[in-house]
Amino acid sequence: MSDDRSRRILVGRFGAPHGVRGELRLQSFTQDPQAIGAYAPLFDESGRGRYKIVSLRPVKGTSFVVRIEGISTREAAAALTNQPLYIERDNLPEPEEEEFYLADLIGLTAFARDESGAELPFGRVKDVLNFGGGDILEIEPPEGGETILLPFTRAVVPELDLAARRLVVIPPDEIEAREDTPTDDEDATDSSAEPGRSDD
Amino acid sequence: MARSIWKGPFVDGYLLKKAEAARASTRAEVIKIWSRRSTILPQFVGLTFGVYNGHKHVPVNVTEDMIGHKFGEFSPTRTFHGHAADKKARRG
Repeated sequence: MSDDRSRRILVGRFGAPHGVRGELRLQSFTQDPQAIGAYAPLFDESGRGRYKIVSLRPVKGTSFVVRIEGISTREAAAALTNQPLYIERDNLPEPEEEEFYLADLIGLTAFARDESGAELPFGRVKDVLNFGGGDILEIEPPEGGETILLPFTRAVVPELDLAARRLVVIPPDEIEAREDTPTDDEDATDSSAEPGRSDD
Repeated sequence: MARSIWKGPFVDGYLLKKAEAARASTRAEVIKIWSRRSTILPQFVGLTFGVYNGHKHVPVNVTEDMIGHKFGEFSPTRTFHGHAADKKARRG
């Protein structure tokens, strides 16, 4: 049972009913929000209820109004409100080389490799973030406490074994860049404007 | 109002020195910075900066597209953890 649960992926959630003909709102969590309409079958938390999206029209952002096969009354639609929707992990297409589904990466055990080649437990991948500056692994240390952010690059993550649910990291050296003499901002601004200053 | 062109882009001077040192190094390095206000210059491309967001240093791998933006734009101070769903990550 627990194995089944780990192989399924949350892709959306039903919202409030819309109108009286059995339509209801749906919030999509997928990369391309509209792609949720292409995944089938969608099933609920228990795995018993299966849903097929017949029509899907965008409302705002990641929200849609959908018509589900077999749901034709407002009451039936209301019964689905707040129902999370899952798909089987196996239904996702194969990613390209050097591409990984976040669902596969989250939960991997990380080991740190030192210069002698020894591997020590480093933590567990808690999340994968991206703020526009490349993908970042958020790693939860085994002893708890503050999470560690590492860039998801070949240099930092040289080995990744999805089958064994493990990855090896080489934490990068950190060098601090801060003003030697923390005086007033005016000095920093004056000196810093130099590199790009043009004379005309 | 936009910054006057004659001033050139703003960047804290000490970043340039650190970037130069990091470029000379052969090891993978993250340059921890607090200067969110500095503009990303062409000489920073290829380097990884850890940009402080008031809490942590967020790794930012600088690419050509980022030139002209500020470091702070890539290190949000409030983080929304969404759902993984079918999203993918690329190992750079």
